[in-house]
Amino acid sequence: MADVKVAPEGIKADVTLDCKGLSCPMPLLKTKKAIQKLEKGQILEVLGTDPGSKNDIPGWCERSGHEFLGMKEESGYFVFYIKKG
Amino acid sequence: MSDFKEAISRNWRSFAVSTWSPMMGGIMLALFAIFLEAWYRPWGIVGGIRNWADWFFYGIGFYDEAPPHPLEFSSSVLNIGYIWGAAISAFFAREFGLRFPPKIEYIKAIVTGILMGLGSALAMGCNVGGFYVALHNLAANGFLMAVGLVFGVILGVKYLYWELEHFPSSGGFEISFKKVGPYIGFLLLVGLIVATYAYFNSDIDNGEILGGCLIITAGIGYVIHRSRFCMVNGFREPFVTGEATMGKAVMISIILGAIGVSILKYQEIRPEMVYVTPTFGLGALLGGFIFGAAMVVAGGCGSGALWRVAEGQIKLWVVIIFFALSNSLIRHYFAEYEVIENGYLGKAIFMPEYLGYGGTLFLITFICVLWYVIIDWNEDSNKFVIEM
Repeated sequence: MADVKVAPEGIKADVTLDCKGLSCPMPLLKTKKAIQKLEKGQILEVLGTDPGSKNDIPGWCERSGHEFLGMKEESGYFVFYIKKG
Repeated sequence: MSDFKEAISRNWRSFAVSTWSPMMGGIMLALFAIFLEAWYRPWGIVGGIRNWADWFFYGIGFYDEAPPHPLEFSSSVLNIGYIWGAAISAFFAREFGLRFPPKIEYIKAIVTGILMGLGSALAMGCNVGGFYVALHNLAANGFLMAVGLVFGVILGVKYLYWELEHFPSSGGFEISFKKVGPYIGFLLLVGLIVATYAYFNSDIDNGEILGGCLIITAGIGYVIHRSRFCMVNGFREPFVTGEATMGKAVMISIILGAIGVSILKYQEIRPEMVYVTPTFGLGALLGGFIFGAAMVVAGGCGSGALWRVAEGQIKLWVVIIFFALSNSLIRHYFAEYEVIENGYLGKAIFMPEYLGYGGTLFLITFICVLWYVIIDWNEDSNKFVIEM
Protein backbone atom coordinates (compact mmCIF):
# COMPACT_ATOMS: atom_id res chain seq x y z
CA MET A 1 0.00 0.00 0.00
CA ALA A 2 1.42 3.35 -1.03
CA ASP A 3 1.72 6.12 1.52
CA VAL A 4 -1.30 8.36 1.81
CA LYS A 5 -1.13 11.56 -0.26
CA VAL A 6 -0.20 14.58 1.83
CA ALA A 7 -2.59 17.52 1.58
CA PRO A 8 -1.13 20.74 0.14
CA GLU A 9 -1.10 23.78 2.44
CA GLY A 10 -3.92 26.27 2.41
CA ILE A 11 -6.93 24.12 1.50
CA LYS A 12 -10.10 25.85 2.64
CA ALA A 13 -12.92 23.45 3.46
CA ASP A 14 -16.60 24.29 2.97
CA VAL A 15 -17.83 21.74 5.53
CA THR A 16 -16.14 19.97 8.46
CA LEU A 17 -17.13 16.51 9.66
CA ASP A 18 -16.00 15.31 13.10
CA CYS A 19 -15.36 11.55 13.19
CA LYS A 20 -12.82 11.59 16.02
CA GLY A 21 -12.96 8.52 18.25
CA LEU A 22 -15.10 6.59 15.77
CA SER A 23 -13.97 3.26 14.40
CA CYS A 24 -14.76 1.52 11.13
CA PRO A 25 -17.27 1.75 9.42
CA MET A 26 -18.65 4.96 10.93
CA PRO A 27 -16.07 7.45 9.52
CA LEU A 28 -16.68 6.24 5.97
CA LEU A 29 -20.46 6.07 6.35
CA LYS A 30 -20.61 9.58 7.81
CA THR A 31 -18.35 10.85 5.03
CA LYS A 32 -20.57 9.22 2.41
CA LYS A 33 -23.62 10.86 3.92
CA ALA A 34 -22.02 14.28 4.42
CA ILE A 35 -20.78 14.55 0.85
CA GLN A 36 -24.30 13.97 -0.49
CA LYS A 37 -25.24 17.40 0.88
CA LEU A 38 -22.38 19.23 -0.88
CA GLU A 39 -22.43 20.90 -4.29
CA LYS A 40 -20.02 19.63 -6.95
CA GLY A 41 -16.57 21.19 -6.40
CA GLN A 42 -17.10 21.94 -2.70
CA ILE A 43 -14.56 20.57 -0.22
CA LEU A 44 -15.28 18.38 2.79
CA GLU A 45 -12.74 18.02 5.57
CA VAL A 46 -13.04 14.92 7.74
CA LEU A 47 -11.41 14.80 11.18
CA GLY A 48 -10.70 11.25 12.30
CA THR A 49 -8.57 9.04 14.52
CA ASP A 50 -9.16 5.57 13.03
CA PRO A 51 -5.99 4.37 11.21
CA GLY A 52 -8.27 2.39 8.88
CA SER A 53 -9.58 5.64 7.39
CA LYS A 54 -6.17 6.22 5.79
CA ASN A 55 -7.00 3.38 3.41
CA ASP A 56 -10.79 3.56 3.36
CA ILE A 57 -11.32 7.23 2.49
CA PRO A 58 -8.85 7.57 -0.43
CA GLY A 59 -10.04 4.20 -1.80
CA TRP A 60 -13.68 5.22 -1.59
CA CYS A 61 -13.00 8.59 -3.26
CA GLU A 62 -11.34 6.82 -6.18
CA ARG A 63 -14.28 4.47 -6.60
CA SER A 64 -17.02 7.04 -6.21
CA GLY A 65 -15.69 9.82 -8.43
CA HIS A 66 -14.66 12.32 -5.74
CA GLU A 67 -11.18 13.81 -5.63
CA PHE A 68 -9.05 12.94 -2.60
CA LEU A 69 -6.99 16.10 -2.09
CA GLY A 70 -4.82 14.64 0.66
CA MET A 71 -4.39 14.10 4.38
CA LYS A 72 -2.55 15.97 7.09
CA GLU A 73 -1.76 14.99 10.66
CA GLU A 74 -2.72 17.28 13.49
CA SER A 75 -2.07 16.69 17.17
CA GLY A 76 -4.15 13.60 18.04
CA TYR A 77 -6.13 13.31 14.78
CA PHE A 78 -5.93 13.20 10.96
CA VAL A 79 -7.63 15.57 8.54
CA PHE A 80 -8.76 14.27 5.15
CA TYR A 81 -9.76 16.66 2.35
CA ILE A 82 -12.24 15.54 -0.28
CA LYS A 83 -13.51 17.55 -3.26
CA LYS A 84 -16.94 16.46 -4.38
CA GLY A 85 -16.91 15.12 -7.96
CA MET B 1 26.68 2.87 3.86
CA SER B 2 23.94 5.45 3.46
CA ASP B 3 22.38 3.22 0.77
CA PHE B 4 22.33 0.36 3.29
CA LYS B 5 20.67 2.57 5.90
CA GLU B 6 18.16 3.58 3.28
CA ALA B 7 17.48 -0.09 2.50
CA ILE B 8 16.92 -0.84 6.20
CA SER B 9 14.57 2.11 6.51
CA ARG B 10 12.66 1.15 3.36
CA ASN B 11 12.25 -2.47 4.45
CA TRP B 12 11.27 -1.48 7.97
CA ARG B 13 8.49 0.61 6.46
CA SER B 14 7.37 -2.32 4.29
CA PHE B 15 7.44 -4.79 7.16
CA ALA B 16 6.21 -2.72 10.09
CA VAL B 17 4.65 0.56 9.00
CA SER B 18 2.88 0.32 5.64
CA THR B 19 -0.48 -1.40 5.44
CA TRP B 20 -0.20 -4.74 3.66
CA SER B 21 -2.76 -5.58 1.00
CA PRO B 22 -5.81 -7.58 2.13
CA MET B 23 -4.78 -10.39 -0.25
CA MET B 24 -1.35 -10.59 1.39
CA GLY B 25 -3.10 -10.64 4.78
CA GLY B 26 -5.52 -13.37 3.68
CA ILE B 27 -2.77 -15.61 2.33
CA MET B 28 -0.58 -15.12 5.41
CA LEU B 29 -3.54 -15.69 7.73
CA ALA B 30 -4.39 -18.99 6.03
CA LEU B 31 -0.75 -20.09 6.37
CA PHE B 32 -0.61 -19.25 10.08
CA ALA B 33 -4.00 -20.92 10.69
CA ILE B 34 -2.62 -24.10 9.09
CA PHE B 35 0.61 -23.82 11.13
CA LEU B 36 -1.45 -23.54 14.32
CA GLU B 37 -3.66 -26.50 13.50
CA ALA B 38 -0.60 -28.57 12.53
CA TRP B 39 1.06 -27.58 15.81
CA TYR B 40 -1.84 -28.35 18.11
CA ARG B 41 -5.36 -27.13 17.33
CA PRO B 42 -7.50 -24.86 15.10
CA TRP B 43 -7.61 -21.10 15.66
CA GLY B 44 -10.57 -19.72 17.62
CA ILE B 45 -11.59 -16.59 19.50
CA VAL B 46 -14.76 -17.26 21.52
CA GLY B 47 -13.49 -20.09 23.73
CA GLY B 48 -10.75 -17.84 25.08
CA ILE B 49 -12.86 -14.79 25.86
CA ARG B 50 -15.50 -17.08 27.41
CA ASN B 51 -12.83 -18.50 29.70
CA TRP B 52 -12.05 -14.98 30.92
CA ALA B 53 -15.76 -14.28 31.55
CA ASP B 54 -16.16 -17.67 33.26
CA TRP B 55 -13.55 -16.47 35.76
CA PHE B 56 -15.60 -13.33 36.40
CA PHE B 57 -18.77 -15.31 37.12
CA TYR B 58 -16.81 -17.81 39.21
CA GLY B 59 -15.23 -14.92 41.10
CA ILE B 60 -18.59 -13.40 42.04
CA GLY B 61 -19.85 -16.84 43.12
CA PHE B 62 -22.31 -17.41 40.27
CA TYR B 63 -20.50 -20.47 38.89
CA ASP B 64 -19.55 -23.32 41.21
CA GLU B 65 -16.61 -24.79 39.34
CA ALA B 66 -13.38 -22.95 38.71
CA PRO B 67 -12.64 -22.63 34.97
CA PRO B 68 -9.20 -23.61 33.60
CA HIS B 69 -6.38 -21.16 34.38
CA PRO B 70 -6.21 -18.56 31.54
CA LEU B 71 -2.44 -19.04 31.17
CA GLU B 72 -2.76 -22.83 31.01
CA PHE B 73 -5.83 -23.07 28.75
CA SER B 74 -5.09 -23.12 25.03
CA SER B 75 -8.18 -21.13 23.95
CA SER B 76 -7.19 -18.29 26.26
CA VAL B 77 -3.51 -18.46 25.25
CA LEU B 78 -4.55 -18.17 21.58
CA ASN B 79 -6.22 -14.84 22.34
CA ILE B 80 -3.34 -13.59 24.46
CA GLY B 81 -0.91 -14.33 21.62
CA TYR B 82 -3.25 -12.80 19.06
CA ILE B 83 -3.70 -9.53 20.98
CA TRP B 84 0.04 -9.47 21.74
CA GLY B 85 0.97 -9.80 18.05
CA ALA B 86 -1.60 -7.22 16.94
CA ALA B 87 -0.36 -4.81 19.63
CA ILE B 88 3.25 -5.21 18.41
CA SER B 89 2.08 -4.32 14.91
CA ALA B 90 0.01 -1.35 16.16
CA PHE B 91 2.85 0.09 18.27
CA PHE B 92 5.52 -0.42 15.58
CA ALA B 93 3.39 1.46 13.06
CA ARG B 94 2.55 4.22 15.61
CA GLU B 95 -1.12 3.25 15.21
CA PHE B 96 -1.83 2.56 18.86
CA GLY B 97 -3.91 5.22 20.59
CA LEU B 98 -6.63 5.17 23.21
CA ARG B 99 -9.59 6.21 21.08
CA PHE B 100 -12.66 7.24 23.06
CA PRO B 101 -15.81 7.35 20.91
CA PRO B 102 -18.93 9.56 21.27
CA LYS B 103 -21.42 8.40 23.94
CA ILE B 104 -23.85 6.60 21.62
CA GLU B 105 -21.06 4.24 20.59
CA TYR B 106 -20.83 2.89 24.17
CA ILE B 107 -24.53 1.96 24.10
CA LYS B 108 -24.07 0.29 20.72
CA ALA B 109 -21.01 -1.55 22.07
CA ILE B 110 -22.95 -2.99 25.02
CA VAL B 111 -25.97 -4.07 22.94
CA THR B 112 -23.93 -5.51 20.08
CA GLY B 113 -21.52 -7.21 22.48
CA ILE B 114 -24.45 -9.02 24.11
CA LEU B 115 -25.85 -10.00 20.70
CA MET B 116 -22.46 -11.22 19.49
CA GLY B 117 -22.29 -13.41 22.59
CA LEU B 118 -25.72 -14.83 21.76
CA GLY B 119 -24.99 -15.34 18.06
CA SER B 120 -21.68 -17.05 18.73
CA ALA B 121 -23.27 -19.28 21.40
CA LEU B 122 -25.91 -20.45 18.89
CA ALA B 123 -23.32 -21.02 16.14
CA MET B 124 -20.78 -22.39 18.65
CA GLY B 125 -18.23 -19.91 17.34
CA CYS B 126 -17.91 -16.42 15.94
CA ASN B 127 -16.97 -15.66 12.34
CA VAL B 128 -13.68 -17.43 13.06
CA GLY B 129 -14.67 -20.73 14.70
CA GLY B 130 -18.19 -20.84 13.23
CA PHE B 131 -17.36 -19.77 9.68
CA TYR B 132 -13.73 -19.21 8.61
CA VAL B 133 -11.99 -22.03 10.51
CA ALA B 134 -15.11 -24.23 10.29
CA LEU B 135 -14.76 -24.17 6.50
CA HIS B 136 -11.02 -24.87 6.79
CA ASN B 137 -12.07 -27.91 8.81
CA LEU B 138 -14.58 -28.96 6.13
CA ALA B 139 -17.58 -28.47 8.42
CA ALA B 140 -20.93 -27.81 6.72
CA ASN B 141 -22.04 -25.45 9.49
CA GLY B 142 -19.49 -22.95 8.10
CA PHE B 143 -21.58 -22.51 4.95
CA LEU B 144 -24.82 -22.15 6.89
CA MET B 145 -23.31 -19.52 9.16
CA ALA B 146 -22.11 -17.62 6.06
CA VAL B 147 -25.72 -17.44 4.81
CA GLY B 148 -26.86 -16.11 8.18
CA LEU B 149 -23.96 -13.63 8.26
CA VAL B 150 -24.84 -12.16 4.85
CA PHE B 151 -28.48 -11.48 5.80
CA GLY B 152 -27.41 -10.20 9.21
CA VAL B 153 -24.92 -7.83 7.59
CA ILE B 154 -27.67 -6.38 5.36
CA LEU B 155 -29.81 -5.71 8.45
CA GLY B 156 -26.81 -4.17 10.25
CA VAL B 157 -26.09 -1.83 7.33
CA LYS B 158 -29.74 -0.73 7.21
CA TYR B 159 -29.64 0.00 10.93
CA LEU B 160 -26.48 2.11 10.56
CA TYR B 161 -28.10 4.17 7.77
CA TRP B 162 -31.13 4.73 9.99
CA GLU B 163 -28.91 5.72 12.90
CA LEU B 164 -27.04 8.28 10.80
CA GLU B 165 -30.38 9.98 10.06
CA HIS B 166 -31.67 9.95 13.63
CA PHE B 167 -28.66 10.03 15.98
CA PRO B 168 -25.81 12.09 14.52
CA SER B 169 -22.86 11.90 16.90
CA SER B 170 -19.53 13.61 17.47
CA GLY B 171 -17.17 14.42 20.31
CA GLY B 172 -14.77 11.49 20.44
CA PHE B 173 -11.05 11.92 21.09
CA GLU B 174 -7.73 10.08 21.12
CA ILE B 175 -4.87 9.83 23.59
CA SER B 176 -1.96 9.27 21.25
CA PHE B 177 1.08 7.03 21.86
CA LYS B 178 2.72 7.83 18.53
CA LYS B 179 5.99 9.18 19.92
CA VAL B 180 6.76 6.14 22.08
CA GLY B 181 5.00 3.53 19.90
CA PRO B 182 7.99 1.74 18.33
CA TYR B 183 9.83 1.53 21.69
CA ILE B 184 6.81 -0.12 23.34
CA GLY B 185 6.55 -2.38 20.27
CA PHE B 186 10.14 -3.59 20.78
CA LEU B 187 9.50 -4.18 24.49
CA LEU B 188 6.41 -6.22 23.60
CA LEU B 189 8.40 -8.22 21.04
CA VAL B 190 11.10 -9.03 23.59
CA GLY B 191 8.37 -9.90 26.12
CA LEU B 192 6.75 -12.25 23.63
CA ILE B 193 10.01 -14.12 23.04
CA VAL B 194 10.65 -14.35 26.81
CA ALA B 195 7.07 -15.60 27.46
CA THR B 196 7.40 -18.23 24.71
CA TYR B 197 10.69 -19.48 26.19
CA ALA B 198 9.08 -19.49 29.63
CA TYR B 199 6.29 -21.77 28.36
CA PHE B 200 8.74 -24.10 26.64
CA ASN B 201 10.80 -24.42 29.83
CA SER B 202 7.94 -24.50 32.33
CA ASP B 203 6.77 -27.46 34.38
CA ILE B 204 3.08 -27.01 33.53
CA ASP B 205 1.30 -29.65 31.47
CA ASN B 206 1.41 -28.82 27.77
CA GLY B 207 3.90 -25.99 28.39
CA GLU B 208 5.60 -26.49 25.02
CA ILE B 209 2.27 -26.74 23.23
CA LEU B 210 1.05 -23.52 24.84
CA GLY B 211 4.32 -21.75 23.97
CA GLY B 212 3.83 -22.72 20.33
CA CYS B 213 0.21 -21.54 20.46
CA LEU B 214 1.32 -18.19 21.89
CA ILE B 215 3.95 -17.41 19.27
CA ILE B 216 1.91 -18.69 16.31
CA THR B 217 -1.17 -16.67 17.24
CA ALA B 218 1.09 -13.65 17.79
CA GLY B 219 1.99 -14.18 14.13
CA ILE B 220 -1.70 -14.26 13.26
CA GLY B 221 -2.27 -11.06 15.23
CA TYR B 222 0.65 -9.35 13.51
CA VAL B 223 -0.35 -10.19 9.93
CA ILE B 224 -4.04 -9.57 10.50
CA HIS B 225 -3.39 -6.12 11.99
CA ARG B 226 -0.69 -5.16 9.49
CA SER B 227 -3.10 -5.92 6.63
CA ARG B 228 -6.15 -4.66 8.59
CA PHE B 229 -7.71 -7.95 7.48
CA CYS B 230 -11.33 -7.60 8.43
CA MET B 231 -14.03 -10.17 7.72
CA VAL B 232 -16.78 -7.66 8.58
CA ASN B 233 -15.39 -5.43 5.84
CA GLY B 234 -15.36 -8.41 3.48
CA PHE B 235 -19.03 -9.11 4.11
CA ARG B 236 -20.19 -5.48 4.48
CA GLU B 237 -18.53 -3.46 1.74
CA PRO B 238 -20.21 -5.17 -1.23
CA PHE B 239 -23.45 -3.79 0.28
CA VAL B 240 -22.12 -0.34 1.30
CA THR B 241 -19.62 0.89 -1.30
CA GLY B 242 -19.35 -2.09 -3.64
CA GLU B 243 -15.66 -2.48 -2.72
CA ALA B 244 -14.71 -6.16 -2.99
CA THR B 245 -10.97 -6.25 -2.21
CA MET B 246 -11.38 -7.61 1.31
CA GLY B 247 -14.20 -9.98 0.37
CA LYS B 248 -12.05 -11.52 -2.36
CA ALA B 249 -9.12 -11.93 0.06
CA VAL B 250 -11.41 -13.72 2.55
CA MET B 251 -12.47 -16.17 -0.18
CA ILE B 252 -8.86 -16.96 -1.20
CA SER B 253 -7.91 -17.35 2.46
CA ILE B 254 -10.71 -19.87 3.01
CA ILE B 255 -9.70 -21.95 -0.03
CA LEU B 256 -6.01 -22.03 0.99
CA GLY B 257 -6.83 -22.90 4.60
CA ALA B 258 -9.23 -25.66 3.55
CA ILE B 259 -6.54 -27.23 1.36
CA GLY B 260 -4.02 -27.12 4.22
CA VAL B 261 -6.36 -28.55 6.84
CA SER B 262 -7.60 -31.22 4.41
CA ILE B 263 -4.02 -32.47 4.22
CA LEU B 264 -3.80 -32.57 8.04
CA LYS B 265 -7.08 -34.47 8.35
CA TYR B 266 -6.59 -36.78 5.39
CA GLN B 267 -3.17 -37.78 6.70
CA GLU B 268 -4.76 -38.32 10.15
CA ILE B 269 -2.51 -35.70 11.73
CA ARG B 270 -5.69 -34.17 13.19
CA PRO B 271 -8.97 -35.96 14.00
CA GLU B 272 -11.57 -35.49 11.28
CA MET B 273 -14.27 -34.17 13.59
CA VAL B 274 -12.14 -31.38 15.07
CA TYR B 275 -14.11 -28.10 14.79
CA VAL B 276 -17.11 -29.83 13.23
CA THR B 277 -19.78 -28.60 15.63
CA PRO B 278 -23.39 -29.80 15.92
CA THR B 279 -24.80 -26.54 14.56
CA PHE B 280 -25.75 -27.42 10.99
CA GLY B 281 -29.32 -26.21 11.42
CA LEU B 282 -30.89 -23.37 13.33
CA GLY B 283 -27.72 -22.76 15.37
CA ALA B 284 -25.43 -21.72 12.51
CA LEU B 285 -28.17 -19.96 10.53
CA LEU B 286 -29.76 -17.93 13.33
CA GLY B 287 -26.44 -17.49 15.14
CA GLY B 288 -24.87 -16.21 11.92
CA PHE B 289 -27.76 -13.80 11.34
CA ILE B 290 -27.60 -12.32 14.86
CA PHE B 291 -23.80 -12.23 14.88
CA GLY B 292 -23.69 -10.71 11.38
CA ALA B 293 -26.05 -7.85 12.23
CA ALA B 294 -24.29 -7.16 15.53
CA MET B 295 -20.73 -7.24 14.14
CA VAL B 296 -21.55 -4.56 11.55
CA VAL B 297 -22.89 -2.21 14.22
CA ALA B 298 -20.08 -3.12 16.63
CA GLY B 299 -17.47 -2.38 13.96
CA GLY B 300 -15.66 -5.67 14.43
CA CYS B 301 -16.27 -9.41 14.28
CA GLY B 302 -14.60 -11.84 16.69
CA SER B 303 -11.15 -11.43 15.17
CA GLY B 304 -11.65 -7.82 14.06
CA ALA B 305 -12.88 -6.69 17.47
CA LEU B 306 -9.89 -8.28 19.19
CA TRP B 307 -7.23 -6.69 16.95
CA ARG B 308 -8.95 -3.33 17.39
CA VAL B 309 -8.73 -3.91 21.15
CA ALA B 310 -4.97 -4.22 20.58
CA GLU B 311 -4.80 -0.83 18.83
CA GLY B 312 -6.69 0.95 21.59
CA GLN B 313 -10.25 1.31 20.22
CA ILE B 314 -12.18 1.71 23.50
CA LYS B 315 -15.53 0.90 21.86
CA LEU B 316 -14.24 -2.55 20.97
CA TRP B 317 -12.97 -3.05 24.53
CA VAL B 318 -16.57 -2.62 25.66
CA VAL B 319 -17.82 -4.90 22.88
CA ILE B 320 -15.43 -7.69 23.88
CA ILE B 321 -16.35 -7.44 27.59
CA PHE B 322 -20.09 -7.80 26.92
CA PHE B 323 -19.52 -10.36 24.14
CA ALA B 324 -17.56 -12.53 26.60
CA LEU B 325 -20.00 -12.13 29.51
CA SER B 326 -23.05 -12.85 27.37
CA ASN B 327 -21.46 -15.87 25.65
CA SER B 328 -20.37 -17.30 28.99
CA LEU B 329 -23.84 -16.97 30.52
CA ILE B 330 -25.68 -18.39 27.51
CA ARG B 331 -23.29 -21.34 27.20
CA HIS B 332 -23.71 -21.91 30.94
CA TYR B 333 -27.47 -22.26 30.48
CA PHE B 334 -27.00 -24.32 27.30
CA ALA B 335 -25.00 -26.77 29.43
CA GLU B 336 -27.62 -26.79 32.18
CA TYR B 337 -30.43 -27.63 29.74
CA GLU B 338 -28.21 -29.81 27.51
CA VAL B 339 -29.11 -27.72 24.45
CA ILE B 340 -26.08 -28.86 22.44
CA GLU B 341 -26.29 -32.52 23.50
CA ASN B 342 -29.98 -32.69 22.56
CA GLY B 343 -29.17 -31.47 19.06
CA TYR B 344 -31.35 -28.35 19.26
CA LEU B 345 -28.70 -26.30 17.41
CA GLY B 346 -28.31 -28.76 14.54
CA LYS B 347 -26.19 -31.67 13.38
CA ALA B 348 -22.43 -32.09 13.08
CA ILE B 349 -21.77 -32.54 9.37
CA PHE B 350 -18.24 -33.34 8.22
CA MET B 351 -18.59 -32.81 4.48
CA PRO B 352 -16.05 -35.44 3.31
CA GLU B 353 -18.30 -38.11 4.83
CA TYR B 354 -20.81 -37.29 2.10
CA LEU B 355 -18.68 -35.84 -0.70
CA GLY B 356 -15.20 -37.23 -0.08
CA TYR B 357 -12.21 -34.91 0.40
CA GLY B 358 -11.99 -34.08 -3.32
CA GLY B 359 -15.69 -33.31 -3.60
CA THR B 360 -15.63 -31.15 -0.48
CA LEU B 361 -12.63 -29.13 -1.66
CA PHE B 362 -14.31 -28.72 -5.02
CA LEU B 363 -17.51 -27.47 -3.37
CA ILE B 364 -15.67 -25.01 -1.08
CA THR B 365 -13.58 -23.72 -3.99
CA PHE B 366 -16.59 -23.46 -6.29
CA ILE B 367 -18.69 -21.47 -3.80
CA CYS B 368 -15.78 -19.19 -2.82
CA VAL B 369 -14.85 -18.53 -6.47
CA LEU B 370 -18.51 -17.92 -7.32
CA TRP B 371 -18.83 -15.34 -4.53
CA TYR B 372 -15.46 -13.85 -5.62
CA VAL B 373 -16.80 -13.35 -9.16
CA ILE B 374 -20.17 -12.02 -7.97
CA ILE B 375 -18.66 -9.35 -5.71
CA ASP B 376 -16.11 -8.46 -8.40
CA TRP B 377 -18.99 -7.92 -10.85
CA ASN B 378 -20.83 -5.95 -8.16
CA GLU B 379 -17.83 -3.59 -7.85
CA ASP B 380 -18.72 -2.18 -11.27
CA SER B 381 -22.46 -2.80 -11.35
CA ASN B 382 -23.18 -1.85 -7.68
CA LYS B 383 -26.23 -4.13 -7.85
CA PHE B 384 -25.97 -5.11 -4.18
CA VAL B 385 -25.17 -1.63 -2.88
CA ILE B 386 -27.83 -0.42 -0.45
CA GLU B 387 -28.51 3.26 -1.08
CA MET B 388 -28.54 5.69 1.83
